[in-house]
Parts: sequence; C-alpha cells; structure tokens
Amino acid sequence: MSNIRTFGVIFVVVALLAMLPFGVSGYVLGLLTLAYYFGVFAMSWDLLFGFAGEVNFGPSFLIGVGAYTAGLLNHYPHWPIWACVITGAAASVAAGLLLAIPALRLRGPYFGLVTLVAVLVLQNIIVLFAGVTGGEIGLDLPDVLSIDDAHNYWIALAFMSISGALLFGLSRSAVGLILQASGQDAVQAGALGFNVTKHKLAAFCVSALFSGLAGAMLVFYEGTVSVGTVVDIGVGVQVIIAAVLGGRRTILGAALGAIFLIVAGEILRPLGQLSTFVVSAVALIVILFFPGGFLGTILRTGER
Amino acid sequence: MMKFFQILIDGFAISSLYGIGAIGFTLIFGVSGVLNLSHGAIMVTAAVAAWAVAGDLGGGPYGGAAAGVLASVVMSFATYLLVVRPIQTSRRIAREEKEIFVLTGTLLWGIMLQEAIAYFFTSNPKTVRPLVAGVINIMGVRTPRQEIVTALVSLVVIGLLWLLINRTRIGKTLLAASINPRGLTLLGFELSTIYLYVWGLYGVLAGIAGVLLGAFLGVSSDNVGQLTASAFSIVVLGGLGSVSGSLIGAFVVGYLETITAYLISPSIRTIPALLLLVIVVYLRPQGLLGRR
Amino acid sequence: MRHRGETMRLSGSWIAALGLALVTQPVLAADPIKIGVIAEVSSISGAAIPNAAKLAADEINAAGGVGGRMIEIVEYDDHNSAADAVRAFQRAANQDHVHAVIASYVSEVVLALQPWSGRLKLPMITPGAASDVISHRIHDDYANQKYTFHGYLASTFLSDSVCDGLKVVGVEQLHMKTAVVMSEDAAWTIPLDAEYLKCLPKIGIKVIDHIRLSPDTTDFTPIFNKIEAQKPDVIVTGISHVGVQPTVQWHDQQVPIPMIGISSQATSSTFYKDTNGATEGVIYQTISAPNVALTPKMIPFTDAYVKRFGITPAYCGYTTYDEVYYIADAIKRAGSTDPDKLVDALEKTSWNGTIGKIEFYGRDSEFTHAMKVSPEYVSGLLVQWQGGKQMTVWPAEVANAKMVFPSFIKLPAN
Repeated sequence: MSNIRTFGVIFVVVALLAMLPFGVSGYVLGLLTLAYYFGVFAMSWDLLFGFAGEVNFGPSFLIGVGAYTAGLLNHYPHWPIWACVITGAAASVAAGLLLAIPALRLRGPYFGLVTLVAVLVLQNIIVLFAGVTGGEIGLDLPDVLSIDDAHNYWIALAFMSISGALLFGLSRSAVGLILQASGQDAVQAGALGFNVTKHKLAAFCVSALFSGLAGAMLVFYEGTVSVGTVVDIGVGVQVIIAAVLGGRRTILGAALGAIFLIVAGEILRPLGQLSTFVVSAVALIVILFFPGGFLGTILRTGER
Repeated sequence: MMKFFQILIDGFAISSLYGIGAIGFTLIFGVSGVLNLSHGAIMVTAAVAAWAVAGDLGGGPYGGAAAGVLASVVMSFATYLLVVRPIQTSRRIAREEKEIFVLTGTLLWGIMLQEAIAYFFTSNPKTVRPLVAGVINIMGVRTPRQEIVTALVSLVVIGLLWLLINRTRIGKTLLAASINPRGLTLLGFELSTIYLYVWGLYGVLAGIAGVLLGAFLGVSSDNVGQLTASAFSIVVLGGLGSVSGSLIGAFVVGYLETITAYLISPSIRTIPALLLLVIVVYLRPQGLLGRR
Repeated sequence: MRHRGETMRLSGSWIAALGLALVTQPVLAADPIKIGVIAEVSSISGAAIPNAAKLAADEINAAGGVGGRMIEIVEYDDHNSAADAVRAFQRAANQDHVHAVIASYVSEVVLALQPWSGRLKLPMITPGAASDVISHRIHDDYANQKYTFHGYLASTFLSDSVCDGLKVVGVEQLHMKTAVVMSEDAAWTIPLDAEYLKCLPKIGIKVIDHIRLSPDTTDFTPIFNKIEAQKPDVIVTGISHVGVQPTVQWHDQQVPIPMIGISSQATSSTFYKDTNGATEGVIYQTISAPNVALTPKMIPFTDAYVKRFGITPAYCGYTTYDEVYYIADAIKRAGSTDPDKLVDALEKTSWNGTIGKIEFYGRDSEFTHAMKVSPEYVSGLLVQWQGGKQMTVWPAEVANAKMVFPSFIKLPAN
C-alpha cells in the first residue's frame, strides 16, 4: 500500500516539476537542471553505499571518466552527442570494473581509500596530459544539448526521473535485498549461498553506468568539461553530503539532498562568501540531529 | 654532490614537517577510531592565528606561535565536543554507519572553518613570522635557520610524544584504549576522559604543525583540502593508527617528492608518491607498518 | 578584519539600494542599465573588481547617469570556479537581465564563460584575464565570439612589456646577460612564456632555462636551488595564482638573484604584510601604480578607492573602473542596450581611462577585441617594493625611485 502511495506522490511531484518552465524564470530552471544531474550522481552513490555497504569516496572518478571521455570525443573527432554520451557511460563502467575488481577484495575503510586515491590519480593524469585534455583549463565543446533553458530542464528532469525509477526499482528488487544483506553482514549473506562479491560488483557497475551517463550529459549541458566541475574531490564530497543529507538507503532522498544543496547555495547568494559556510552548517546540523536525513526523517514520522 | 646534500637537507626538513603534520591524525585514529577530515582546517587555523597575533596584534613570533597552538587546541576540543562525540553517542545512528557520519561531519566542519578563515582573513596565503631569521651554511648548502628549527622542533615533539606514550601512565592508558577500549572500561577507566586527553594532545600536535608549516612554507585557507589529503595519504602509506609507521611514511613521501623535484621536474613532484600509494594500497592495504 | 567591515557596508548598501528602489521605482522613468560583475570575492585581487565597479557606477549616477538611466551593478561570487561562474553568467542573462558583464581575472574562468557570452548574446569584458586564446577565439569565430572583449593586456603583450622594461633596467643599467624563466602552469602563461622565449634574446638576454611549476606547489626550495645552480643574472617571473609563498621562500633562503616580471599578487598593497616584508626588492610589471600620474584619472581614482575601501586597488580594479565607464559610453553612443549594437559601439571605443587610452584591435588583427598596446594607448610600468612602498622604476618619464635590492642579492659585475 505504502509503495503505491509513494509512487502516487512522486508522480504528482514530477508532473508538477515538468510544468515549472511555464511559470518560473530561465535562471531557476538552469539551477534545477544542474541539481537534477547532481541528483543522479547522489542516487548512484547511495546504491553503492546504502545498499552494498561500500563507501565510495571517489564518485567523481566515475563521473569524471564519463565526462572526459564524452568531452574528448566531441572535441576531437567531433562525434555526435548521443554517441559521446553512450561511449562515456561505457568508459565509466569499464573504469569502474578496473577499480572495483581488485578493490572489493579490501575491507572496511581500505575500499574507500582506494576510491579516493583513484580520483587523485585521474586528476593528475588529466593535468599531466594537458596538451590533450586541456589540463586545468578544461575543454570547451562545440556542441551543447540545447541553449534553451526549458529544453535543458526537461531533458534533465526526464533523465533524473528515469534513472531514479530504475535505481529505486533495483534497490527494492530481490537483488537489492541481497545487496542490503551483504552490506550489513557479508559473512552471513555468503553463508546463505549468495555470491556477495558478484552482487557488489554488479552494484558498482550500475552505479558507474549512471554516474558516467550523468557526467557526460552534464558536460553537454555546460558546454565545457574541466577538472573543477567533474573530477575534483570537492565534487565527490558534494555528492556524498547530498546523499547523506537526503537520507541513506532511500535512493530518492539522495536526489532531494542534491537539489537542496544547490538551491540553498543559490538562495543564500546574497550572503556572498558566507553562503558555503551556512550551507555546510545546515548540513552538519541535519546530520547531527536528524541522522536519517530528509527522507529518512519524513518516512519515520509517517510510519508512526 | 652538491645536489645530493641539497636533497638530503631539504628532504629532511620537509619530511619532518610532514611527520608532525600526520602524527596527530594517526593518533586520533589509533586511539578513538576517528578519521578527522577537518585536520587541514585545524592546521590552517593555527597558522592564521599565529600570523594575526604575531603581526597585527604585535605579539611577536613567540606570542604568535603560542596563540596558534592555543587556537588549535580550542578547535580540536570544539571538533570533538560539537561534532565527533554527538555522532559517537547518538542512538539514532547505527554502529556500522558511525564511520561515514564522522567522516561527513568532520568534513563539513572543516569546510565551515575554511570558509570562516577566508571570510575574516581572505584566502590570500599567509606566512607566519619565522621564529629565527637568517641562513647558515651546511656542507655548502645555504639553509635558512627556519628550516633547521622546523626539523628540530618536529623531531623533538615527536620524541616527546614517544616518551609520553611509552613511559607514562597516561600514555599507556592511551595505548590500551587503542587496543581494547572495552577492556579498559572494565578496569574502571572513563573512556570519555581518555578521549578528551587524546584530543587535547592532538590539538597541540596539529597546532605546532600548523605554525611550523605557516612559517616554513606559508598557508592559505585554500590549502585545507590538500593538507588533509596529504596527511591522509602519509598515514595510509605508513599504516592507519601506527605512529611510527606514519613517521616512516612521512619520510618516504618527503624524500620521494624532493628527489622528484630535483632530479626530474618540480611540476610532477607529487606523482611518484601517489603511484607508490596506489601500489601499497593494492598489495598491502594495511600500510607499511599497520596491523589489520 | 577589513573584509568584514566591507561586507557589512555592502549589505548596508544592499538594504539602502532596496529601499531606494522601493521608494523611487515609480518616479524613475528610465530602466537602469545593469552591469553584472562576476569575480572571486575572497581574494584581494578579485574583490577589487566589484569594488571598483561600484565606485564607477556611483560616480556616473551622481553625475546624472547615462541619459538619465542609472547604472546598477549586480554582483556574483564565482569562488574562482568555472562552474559557479557559468551559473552566475546564466543567472545574469536570464534572470537579472543585465546588459553587460565584467568577469573574472582568471583565464580559465573567462575561457569557460566565453562560449556562453556568444550563446546568450551578452557582451562580456574581462578586467584581468590574460590568455591570448581569448582574443584568438574571437578572431577565428567572429560571428559567435564577438560578444567578448579583452579589457586587460593579452599575455603576449605582458611579456613584451616586461622585455621593454628589462632592456632598460636589466640590460642597460644592471648589465644582465642571462635569465631563467619561472612561470606557473596555467592557461595564461602558455603564450606568456612563448613570448618571453622570443623577446628576451632580442634584448640581449640569454634564456638558460625555462621552469613551469604547478600552481599548487608549496615548497619552492628545489626550484630556487636549481635556478641558483645555473647562475642566471635574473629570474623572469610569470606568477599569479602563486605569489606569497615563492616570494617568502626566495627571501628566507636568500636566493641571490633578483626576481623581475609578472607577479600579480605583488600589485596589491597588502602584499608587504602578507609576506612579512619578504617582497622587498621584488620588481613587477603592471599598468598602474600608486602615486604615478600616468593619466590624469589615475591618482583621483586611487585616492577615492583607498578612501572607500581602505586598500589600494589591485590591477584589475583600474581596468574594471575604466570598463564601467566605457560600457556606459558605448551604450550612450549606441543609444541602445541591444547586444549587437553595443558590440558595434564597444568596437569603436576610444576612451581615456585611468590606465591610458583604451581602444580595441579589429577583426583583421589576430588579437581581435584585445586592448591596443603601445605608449600612446596602454603600456606597462615596472614597480619595485622598497621599504614597504611600491615605487615605479621604469619608464624614466614617470619613475619616482631608483632600483634598490636587499643585501643578499648579488648583481652581475660590470
């Protein structure tokens, strides 16, 4: 019953969001467009952490591989956007496998460490091969998805909704339950006959697929690809904060957290330099006092 | 030959500085299992406080250094009492999730400190007035006295820490807390008191590291992330929670970077150390001297 | 602490502006001319951009505005991030409907904004980025890129200016014969270094080595040791993201070689305090200096700025102040804020500003929309830090001091 109700609520919310271009300014749309892509980043991360129990400190490794692959293919051989995006996502999955197969042997914080180091390595490679990648400056792309705010907005909203539905569905499926079991007690899940590593690897691939897709789409929205926007540790940190803030193990909460972070940062813009301070403080307070995050807290209140 | 001595001397100074910067970080992890991601922010707070007191407020280099360490201790307690302890004692956070909450919490706290410093003191780099000025000649290498002071102070402090841990009662309690905290509580020790001690100790270490760093190389609020990341990599290389491992890690990274900068190119200074880190994490994830 | 006061005053003026807007809205017949300002506010150079823009706007408004239309400055903080800057630019165009944008002193940020300036047809001028790529792009793809103007010297011109000065102060006065070029790895230094390597030999200085350092370098000891071992007569610099740290370490290590060149952070009056005086003896190229009457407008502007903000304007303060004036002038001449008409009018700019006479190169030049550089337009100065003051040492017509170096510097023997 509650699942049906949840879907009803989400359907109405998405429908309302789709109407926004008729009512609000282009700027608000631009902001939400960015927030939706971040929402997909955060949801992909939550699948890995909330369900598989693996803390990936390097979401921007997967995002960055997808984004740079797509960007390079558009900048040099001038492939069409759709081909760049698909290849970018595939590259992200490949890089994810390369990282995950050895890394998943490691336990506890060490898995997280490897993923963090992966980001640093990727960043250094990009800067080192500045002649091809544009280094710290980044590359500008000849093509963009659209220069119309409403079109960009709808593309991002559709992308987030579909990704969210798939990820949410996966997390509620039998596979999701096995993942959750392996995340909480890998030994017991193994004893029940599930191949824990294989399931976690699959989760990593799915996470990489959506991160890479979203990263590639984002660069065609912004028209540039640079270390600061898709690879920097700061980007990954924002994704993690968004997911924890929205509520772990909820998938949809992660998207909510991402939208909150970006919109709050902008609403507080008149505070100038202090806006980041205030956003961080609010996030810290939520984590300390409402550790379930936005969605976790709402759901718990709803259940009572 | 000249180059050999230059590498030897410069590498020694930078390695000692890395050592004292990383040792507090590993201590907190070893004793209380906390990876404090606001580490860089606390070091920068110390350096900026020292810069402000020594310069604007006329406190002189020693007054500045004292103020820097004091600021670091205050911030260290604030980190523990406002961020870490509420998470550790919260009943609403499941045990297996405490780790990610402490990480996220200290990270957010670090960002807050960083933004506050940028707001009040701008993000322009600051250099703390050196405790001693001038240069001396060692084996043909003109070396700033400040560089020698940096190395000496770092090593003396690390030595004192070793004595404290191995030769005093409180030190042995800390050690015991890192091995078996539950057993320690059974013996009637109050874990929260021990944690307060260790955070105080951490504040002193991070403060000294911050002030030395500010005087030797200079810092800006933009360095916060980089400083945390470099302490983190050194500690991982040496073995999480191992004090002597971190010291070895610091010297490996310090010398590797210096050798790269001198013999290959300063622009790829950090890359060999990073590659070494990748190799170590894959082959020996517990680090050079860590225990599983 | 100065910063805090500034922001408090800023929020005060916000409230005042809001109040004013509420009260006077119905009375004002004409809509204001809006100029967006995108900059990194937490750095001293970056903060000079909105400050100088507000100063210029207030002056123009006090004198009656542009044909009765007031100028309104809309500020955005980009935290020195390309993504934040793009977002701010989109907001400026689509939400705040500004008529022109003055954006950033960082080439990376400006290069990311440039395609958006074309896509959204919003004229943009940079007061401080240097990369040649900005104007080359306009030359290569005029139809799409013509909305961008380069309101600061392109890197190539910066190098030329350093070489012109070095010919006099270095070669003729100090008999320098060899140099090491030391630049940070960034977009703006690629053409800068290329030109250094060309123009230094022309003035009779042999380049022994060329070092590009990572902008996140913190320990410069190996770099200085390497340079010292090569025994050049001078270190020619190209640094902007770094500044305090190499200067302090140069001083603490007592590197016996003078540093002359581009050092953007050294242009700020707070640099002496930030380096604890280590900058004593450093010579930097600039287009403006305190107490030098390069143009009749320079000293009055500097004084007004110091009076209002407590520090001297960094280099991009001067360019921004001029930009607000010549944007206003162009709108007046165009009689419209239509972007294409405004671009046409800006191309015909001939404005006597604080830093000289400002005109832009045309479509046929490879430096399309870059500022014309020559003694009759805008040209450079060499300024040296002496006893905590910034003293001009070149060119002779405006110099107010002779070069003085700290005792650890060993100048080439005659």
